[in-house]
Amino acid sequence: MSVAEISLKNVSKTFSPGLFKKKVEAVRDLTLEVGKGEVYGLIGPNGAGKSTTIRVLLGLIRPTGGEILFRGEPPRHGEFQKEIGYLPENPYLYDYLTLEELLQFCGRVSGVGGEERRKRIDELSGKLQLTEALRRPLRTYSKGMLQRAGICFALLHDPAIVILDEPMSGLDPMGRKLVFDLVLELKEQGKTIFFCSHILSDVERLCDRMGVLVRGRLARTFGKSDFAAGCEAAVHLLLPPVEERLRPALEGLQGELVSVPDGLLLSFPAERLPEIAGALTRLGIGIRGTRSSRVSLEELFIETVGESS
Amino acid sequence: MNRVWALSVITYKEGIRNRSLFGILAFALFVLGLNISVAGFFMREVGKVTVDMNLSALTFSGLLLVFFVALHLMAKDIDKKTIQLVFSKPLSRGEYILGKYLGILFFVVVSLLALAVFSIATVSLVRGLYPNYFAGFSWPIFFTAGCFVLVQLAVLCAILILFSTVTTSSFASLIFTVCVYLVGVTIEDVLFYIQSGFRTEAISPVVQEVVKVVSYILPNFSMWDFKLEAAHGLAIGAERIGLGLGYAAVYIVVLLALATLFFQRREFN
Amino acid sequence: MAARKLFVLILIVFVGAGVHVGLSRKVWENRQEVRRTTQTGYVFPSQFARILALGHKGLYADYLFLNTLTFFGERQMYRENLTKEDWDYLVAGLDTVTDLDPYFLDPYVLGASLLTWDIRRFDDANRLLEKGTRHRTWDWRLPYYLGFNHFYFLKDYNKGAEYLMEASRRPQSPSFLPTLAARLSYYGDQARTGILFLMALISQTKDERLRNSLLIRKQALEGAALIEERIERFRKERGRAPGDINELLKEGYIEQLPEEPYGGKWLILPTGRVFSTSKFVAPPKKK
Repeated sequence: MSVAEISLKNVSKTFSPGLFKKKVEAVRDLTLEVGKGEVYGLIGPNGAGKSTTIRVLLGLIRPTGGEILFRGEPPRHGEFQKEIGYLPENPYLYDYLTLEELLQFCGRVSGVGGEERRKRIDELSGKLQLTEALRRPLRTYSKGMLQRAGICFALLHDPAIVILDEPMSGLDPMGRKLVFDLVLELKEQGKTIFFCSHILSDVERLCDRMGVLVRGRLARTFGKSDFAAGCEAAVHLLLPPVEERLRPALEGLQGELVSVPDGLLLSFPAERLPEIAGALTRLGIGIRGTRSSRVSLEELFIETVGESS
Repeated sequence: MNRVWALSVITYKEGIRNRSLFGILAFALFVLGLNISVAGFFMREVGKVTVDMNLSALTFSGLLLVFFVALHLMAKDIDKKTIQLVFSKPLSRGEYILGKYLGILFFVVVSLLALAVFSIATVSLVRGLYPNYFAGFSWPIFFTAGCFVLVQLAVLCAILILFSTVTTSSFASLIFTVCVYLVGVTIEDVLFYIQSGFRTEAISPVVQEVVKVVSYILPNFSMWDFKLEAAHGLAIGAERIGLGLGYAAVYIVVLLALATLFFQRREFN
Repeated sequence: MAARKLFVLILIVFVGAGVHVGLSRKVWENRQEVRRTTQTGYVFPSQFARILALGHKGLYADYLFLNTLTFFGERQMYRENLTKEDWDYLVAGLDTVTDLDPYFLDPYVLGASLLTWDIRRFDDANRLLEKGTRHRTWDWRLPYYLGFNHFYFLKDYNKGAEYLMEASRRPQSPSFLPTLAARLSYYGDQARTGILFLMALISQTKDERLRNSLLIRKQALEGAALIEERIERFRKERGRAPGDINELLKEGYIEQLPEEPYGGKWLILPTGRVFSTSKFVAPPKKK
């Protein structure tokens, strides 16, 4: 197996905010690997430690334990930063600078030569539909424009690894589509993408692998492949909430039983449908409906979070 | 060095376009205008009063520049987490400190030069109106005093940067910097008062020692104050100029190195 | 690599701090020299100082007063003689301070003592004291100082007695004031009266330097009073005044001349008063 682009090994981070305040364990014993060309999505409820994970990865904060490896070695300052592009959540850029000046700065500190820099600026601002606004102070930008400007800033030096923290927040549907397509394009170019989000549909569509982070712990990881395999060719019956005494019987049906907001969802391979339908009739449980779609990520997410907390 | 330069350029641009600059400029122009109208009230010392008011206007505006705009330039990066973005680029903490400092310094110098143009115009005008009262006046001394206003501000900027690297809020760095400035401009009077043996109450030796230690740690801003010399046209010895510049340069280097040390330990959450 | 960078930084800090301390020492020496040799400062006339104070008149008054004190103290420390400009600066400073804050006691006291004993600018001193008397209506000390100035320096006994009566009417004034006032208007010019005044003054004075000078003065006056007393006895017994001090000694009216603390020689003035060649002024100190 080739060396992972980024790997976190047993990383944990505890904040000690002050003398008399409680310590906060933001990330606990986190181990994950992102391979070259992979799109990894880190999902989790607010305050799960997603941003902290990213900051540890970037070296903005020091982990209390564990180590971070970049291509199998501890990241070296300067070289590592040249290979990554980072978009923070709600980026605050400078008020009075124009986007062009900001991007020039970015290119210069990243060692992108003058001509190349010019080309990249035109190209990226065109792609993100900011060409018109290139010479306007950033103060006059709307929230969505700032988000897109932040993406330009992250991608200008053509990094191999892109780290996005909530890239879709604050964007309108058009903007989302724009960013979405851009990420797909990056994926095609073979970039490694690590992002965290709580907009699950985006994650679902973009990611090769996902990790669910709950209270600083990686509660579950699943790849797109096992996600699909487990669910394909299956029948999903939506059942009403049942009395406790009936539950063992339901569980005995050898299907996958998941709690959903309006009842229970029973999943099983299609060929067992007659058998299970009979069993349900015997138990006197009505069928509310079926879900033709596979189990939504949302439900898995809620389940995982529920289990871990 | 290219990276330091790039950062200082955007810092400078961000500062020079700040709206507060107009307010500060207006303030300085108001003081200078006041100077022209008030100058006639004084019977003998018109030249002196004019120089006093000009240099004080420059100093005050410079302080405003540092306390508001420069503070903003440094602290906003940390407050609003822009610094995380900056550090995701190949820029080391030391380069950041140096780049920010140079950018801020450049901004202060350019703004002050703009004010100096108005100041020179004012002095020339008043001098034209009351030519008899400018006997002791000398432009070189006036300019020297003006340059040392810049030196004071350069030291103050370094202090501001140091505090910004250790505190978590821009307000705290503002308060600390203002305090250091106030102590810096008064410490000399206090120290010499204590030593002078002319006082109404005995002063405990502990206080005396504390003041003495403080006088080594904090800068003595009077060293860079040549307002009196400029006002009366007294010659300034080369030794004082050299000593003043060296004192400032060494102090700034130490402060920036310390700031880098603190910054390297710091986490940006 | 990181460790080396850290090392370099720490090195810079330490070496820099060392150089800084060295330079600081030089800077302070330089400042001491500069302050000693520069001419007097300039005090903004009070009408401008009021504006400059930006609503913090009290604070500004305190600051100016401290400045004035330091200025004077430094000159004292280096035993430099103050020029007329220096004294003008002092007077202007005290004037402005008391204009800014007319209830501030310290500048009045400082002015009253420095301007009289050291430089004999009685008009300035009295002007300051009168301002204080007007404002600090509850304070007996200021009219008392005025009375003393009139008695001791200006020899205007009636006016002095008036001020003393004024002082005695104010709360907490010492009980001897009316007696002193009465005595002053009857036998104004006797050394004994001066001693009484001085004793009251000494009891009011905390400043070590001023107190010492008052004590010396008191010693001188006591000497003069003793001699005056002997002259009086001489006159009563012989029906004439002694020709000079030596005659008193020779005739046994006094066994030993009291020490003259200012280092002068005792004199008998034509008026019968006793004075000294030192004029009761300390010889100028040499650096």
